[in-house]
Amino acid sequence: MLLRGGKKLREDNVAGPVLELKNLHKEIPRKDREPFPIFRNINLSLRDGEFVSVVGPSGCGKTTMLRVINGLLPRTDGEIFIDGKSAAELDHELVMGFVFQGASLLPWRTSLKNVLLGLEGRGRNPKGAEEIARKYLDLVGLSGFENHYPHELSGGMQQRVNLARALAVNPRILLMDEPFAALDAQTRNFMQLELLRIWSETKKTVIFVTHMIAEAILLSDRVVVFSHRPGTIRSEFKVPLERPRSMEMRADPRFLELENIVWKQIEEEVNASGGFAQM
Amino acid sequence: MNGSDRKFSANVLKVASVVAGLTLWHLVSAYVINDSALLVSPVVVVKTTYEMLFVTGELYPHLFASSGIFFYGFVLAIIAGVPLGFVMALSPLVRDYINPWMATLYTTPRIAFAPILLLWFGIGAGSKVAIVFLGCVFPILINSYYGMRVVNREYVELARSFRLRPWELFLKIMLPASVPFILSGIRLAVGRGLTGVAIAEWFGATEGLGYLVYFAGQTLNVPTLFVGVTAFAALGIVGFEVIRRFEAYVTPWRKEAQGG
Repeated sequence: MLLRGGKKLREDNVAGPVLELKNLHKEIPRKDREPFPIFRNINLSLRDGEFVSVVGPSGCGKTTMLRVINGLLPRTDGEIFIDGKSAAELDHELVMGFVFQGASLLPWRTSLKNVLLGLEGRGRNPKGAEEIARKYLDLVGLSGFENHYPHELSGGMQQRVNLARALAVNPRILLMDEPFAALDAQTRNFMQLELLRIWSETKKTVIFVTHMIAEAILLSDRVVVFSHRPGTIRSEFKVPLERPRSMEMRADPRFLELENIVWKQIEEEVNASGGFAQM
Repeated sequence: MNGSDRKFSANVLKVASVVAGLTLWHLVSAYVINDSALLVSPVVVVKTTYEMLFVTGELYPHLFASSGIFFYGFVLAIIAGVPLGFVMALSPLVRDYINPWMATLYTTPRIAFAPILLLWFGIGAGSKVAIVFLGCVFPILINSYYGMRVVNREYVELARSFRLRPWELFLKIMLPASVPFILSGIRLAVGRGLTGVAIAEWFGATEGLGYLVYFAGQTLNVPTLFVGVTAFAALGIVGFEVIRRFEAYVTPWRKEAQGG
């Protein structure tokens, strides 16, 4: 029941990538000047159930790319395919769930009502929609908090609701924009483990944007490194760690080696863009 | 200090402030301006109010007349102001078209309109309701407009991400987000509406609190004058309290609305 919509698309394209970006290009037009390039020539493809992180220096366009994929911003050039169909064609369907960085919960809605936002008025009966919302709140560990308003929840709990809301519509792809950036270090670690658990239970295809290299490695199958602005894909790494992941793996030599390599690349990108002070 | 302690001390302070104010008023009337043609003690005001309510009953017609005029003008202002504010927020064309008139009407002293409205609507309830309406409508309209304009961009993006239809964006995001603004406009309108009642009833009225105050002032009936002013204050307090409760009811998600 929870796989409605998603399942149908899956059957049509058994082997193909779930998400495919072809020469994706974004610039902002400016008056009397050259357009301002944000990112260019992005080619990326995600297979079903893959978890891919995007890291890069601040302002490299990684968050903007996520917004363009979700259709929150128009693209300048290139194509986006979801299960082989162009994203424009699927624009009215909820094929993507977006987990925002900030407090994007509606303050006048309880947790349950916030999760219901994407479920209401889509031909479901209200009882069924509520059942789904409760199920996802339970999945993110928030049963018992259905009737709490966002201001009554901690930052970590708010991001759990945020995640439940994105998952509840059963999207093909989950787009996550630095969802744990605003949390304290300890809460962030717990949320990373929670995300690993939730991901293993839902098997979603995920693009996870973060500026934290360790977070990217811990969570992902692949880590994509962006160059400085205009962002291009500088390199891609397969994370050489088995699943399930655990916090102890952060001390694994393979983890540390990859962390080092990625950090060096980002450092080079920051220097090439004029140094840290210029950011 | 926990919440209930804070609430308790807030209530103590409120009562202490009222008691101190009334005591000072009484002392001034007894020892400083000891002239009942200028100032009467709050004791006299309470006594006169009691008589006008329960002995002669002469306060009721004034109270009802003023409340009625206030109510109609106020409700009409909400009915007209909220949707017009929304339309202006959603359509720059309408906004630019209406703006010069709104700016002019808003800044012109309402008391200057009173004789004109009297001329147009006659000395009956119509002109008075119109004066109250004119006082109430602008804060409501401007706040409704503003509330819709400043809706958090993140919420609009959220609506897009969840592919909400335009009417869903309005009903589920824009409208609830602007409710606190509309309510603070309505709160402002209470004071302005009561001012409107006072002004309206100074011109050719035969009843109402404004008439009572005006007539008592002309005839140097100082106790009645103070009763009239007190009755206005009481209407204002009742109005504020009704709106505060309504606000706490419709926006339970706001921390501020839950306090005292």
